Amino acid sequence: MGARKSMVLRVWDWLEGRYQVRSMMEGLLHVEIPRTARTYYFGGLTLFFFMVQAITGILLAIYYQPTPEAAYGSILFIMNQVNFGWLIRSIHAWSANLMIIYCVFHLLRVFFQAAYKPPRELTWVVGVLLLLLTLGFGFTGYLLPWDQRAYWATTVGSEAAGALPLVGEKLLVFLRGGTTVTARTLSRFFGTHVLVLPLAFAGVLLVHLVLLHVQGLADPTRKVGAKAVPEMGAGSTAKAGPQKRVGLLPFFPNYVLDEFIAWYVMLAVLIILVSLRPVGLAEPADPLVTPEHIKPEWYFLFVYQFFKVVPRVVGVLVPIIGGFLLLLLPFLDRNPHAEPRRRPFAIIAGVVTVIVIVAFSIWGLLS
Amino acid sequence: MAVNIQSDGGSNSQVPEVSRRQLVNYLLGFSLVATAVGVLTPVIGYLWPPGRPSGGGGGRAQVGTTDDFPVGQGKVVPVNDKPVIVVNTPQGGLKAFSAICTHLGCITEWDQTRQFILCPCHDGRFNAITGAVVSGPPPAPLPQLALQVEGDAVYVSEG
Repeated sequence: MGARKSMVLRVWDWLEGRYQVRSMMEGLLHVEIPRTARTYYFGGLTLFFFMVQAITGILLAIYYQPTPEAAYGSILFIMNQVNFGWLIRSIHAWSANLMIIYCVFHLLRVFFQAAYKPPRELTWVVGVLLLLLTLGFGFTGYLLPWDQRAYWATTVGSEAAGALPLVGEKLLVFLRGGTTVTARTLSRFFGTHVLVLPLAFAGVLLVHLVLLHVQGLADPTRKVGAKAVPEMGAGSTAKAGPQKRVGLLPFFPNYVLDEFIAWYVMLAVLIILVSLRPVGLAEPADPLVTPEHIKPEWYFLFVYQFFKVVPRVVGVLVPIIGGFLLLLLPFLDRNPHAEPRRRPFAIIAGVVTVIVIVAFSIWGLLS
Repeated sequence: MAVNIQSDGGSNSQVPEVSRRQLVNYLLGFSLVATAVGVLTPVIGYLWPPGRPSGGGGGRAQVGTTDDFPVGQGKVVPVNDKPVIVVNTPQGGLKAFSAICTHLGCITEWDQTRQFILCPCHDGRFNAITGAVVSGPPPAPLPQLALQVEGDAVYVSEG
């Protein structure tokens, strides 16, 4: 044991002598977070599911063939012939849904705790970009099995882009690589899903994490003008005196351990979901037969239902405008307060928006 | 190992004692290893190439008719996705060999003028009647495959 430990230490010292690993690790881990911070690990769990997606996605790409002739068969092959293929594919599909759920939970948490307010405006903007990229993953990935559900959900979904004034038709052709959903659509969706989006996501995620590290977690109980508890993450240890550190908690090991347990629980949840409800496959895609009651995935249901009750132009413009408002929220909301009772308009607007989206989603599901 | 052996007062019995911290460490280590194994097993299993789907492969296949293989000629035909060279020599008659060169896996061809099986990669030469190496670097003869003529149909059995 002792000899092994000294070996590890020697390797550590070797690295330390060259790359100052210790100070780097200390800089990353030894930050402090407000004791009052309640993250519910939503952001960390989103990161966890992204990592699950990356691993299972790479595994799926090993056997998947992105052509209309072979795609469906290759998915069948993965499900039926490849060892644990059904498991890997089901994890990928379930984890995608959970990633979106936790991304949205994370956004709502940050919104209701007013963590997007100065100085964290850019963290919010970058975070909303990550949500949009996540939805992009969902949209492009949905087509890849090339079954009836995938084909027609993509046809209907991309058709919505055609409703945009002025550029709609061009955008539709650009999205599909032609006027209809064909082999070109499949290959560009595949390329986007496995190359463009992962690279973009990884880059934006890095920025998100760096901003988080530099500024630390927001204190949801902070009051305007009061500076009793330093909020900053990195560097807080250097600046904060003993009396100032009362309201702070070490990120490592306290928070990291909790986060780790949350990841473990979610891994178990994922395995249970996958075991009880493995993902299936519809009939092979048939461009000449539209199946009845074709609907998008649950996270696009509210847009789908909205489209059904308003003119097409409104249906496409409102989500886009909504997305921009969400993106620019920190610059639109000038109220400096963080406490919910001091920002009633934002809280009511947030609650109403959530209720409307949930209601439209349920409506879309039942319609 | 980090198990303390402590003598128990005056008695001679030695009781191995594991502290609570060590026990928790063992349990934690076991959990981590179990998780790693649980995650890596499906990943490695998944990466391992699956066997060929049952049905279709392994049997015999018609490769043509006797008219397709006149005396003094040979050609490469697929049998269950594997290349097979069928030759027809005056001395040996119709014969089938695996067309995969035993040297480095190139596909052999029929040398019309010199009447033997030739590997174009490194000039390995095989006897058209026995499949034996005539010259060149191949370390072993070409495996012969069973060939049947029924009527004018030519069948080759894989393996």
